[in-house]
Amino acid sequence: MTQAASSIVAPRETRPREQIAVFSIAGCSFVISAASVQEIRSTDSLGGAVVDLEQIVFSKVRHIVEREARSYYVVSGCEHFHLPSSRPSTVLILRSAPVAVLVDHIEEMAEMRLLLALPKSFTGDERAWYRGLTVLDRKVLPVINPKGFLTPAELRQLEEQNPGMLQTAGAGSDRGRG
Amino acid sequence: MNLDKESHVPSFVVFQIGSRRVALPRDCVAELIASPTLFSFPHTTPLITGVALRRGRIVPILDLGPGLLGGSSPEARFFLVVERRDPKMSERCAIPVQGECELVSGDVLPASAQEGFITGCMDLNGEQIDVIDLEWAIATSAKFSESSVPAVEALE
Repeated sequence: MTQAASSIVAPRETRPREQIAVFSIAGCSFVISAASVQEIRSTDSLGGAVVDLEQIVFSKVRHIVEREARSYYVVSGCEHFHLPSSRPSTVLILRSAPVAVLVDHIEEMAEMRLLLALPKSFTGDERAWYRGLTVLDRKVLPVINPKGFLTPAELRQLEEQNPGMLQTAGAGSDRGRG
Repeated sequence: MNLDKESHVPSFVVFQIGSRRVALPRDCVAELIASPTLFSFPHTTPLITGVALRRGRIVPILDLGPGLLGGSSPEARFFLVVERRDPKMSERCAIPVQGECELVSGDVLPASAQEGFITGCMDLNGEQIDVIDLEWAIATSAKFSESSVPAVEALE
């Protein structure tokens, strides 16, 4: 995985490459490593696999979605980034966390050759949201930290308030297939 | 002429934020840039209005308006690139400024203003210019603006 060393661009030939997806939410573009995405689905295709959470702990998480015998908390990208409401048509199911993120649409799949550290002047939530910044087509875009959608503490809180729901949803999906 | 004495006269960059002219020590200032392309993305840090890509570096744009003017700076075409020297924040950032900047030399007199970020005052052809401490001005501006800026506003 591309490492963010500093906010200064390194010579092009020394830069590692990383496959990425560029997606948008409420008019803002973001980059996520393709390796951290398990599946990209249309929201329409999820249908009955969505279960409402019994207790809403965070306004950005209201549902669980079941996919391939696993369950994921559905995180609203708009609410996570404090953006205006939009119409998500796509869901990114992440590989390294039980998280599915609602986004507006995928803009492109591309290759990232550059990951710059987020300048130290940024001191807010964005330090957890992003791995750093990249430059694509002369535009500076934030590179998503997949573990930033739900921190370990947030995952714990969700599990405490909705005990066993994530596992139960996954098991239910299993049974449905059996 | 005493060259030795003259070489010790400190120099300053005088610039304008909104209606207010202030000065920073020359060694805090890297360059003045005009109309860079600005990029915005969601974040919650007060004062940051975006970033610019300059000489292969990502340069955050910091608006000192809240501390110096009591509100956001007017739209700017010029940006003063300054060096932050706070041990935790040692990096370049850019301040939106109105109009052109001047490089001047002169002695600094004790500050008469009440604002804590003003470290002194210099006389420029009869005009009294406040010399500011960059880190203190940033901290004061951040305090004036909301502790958490909604990302929507940061993108405007």
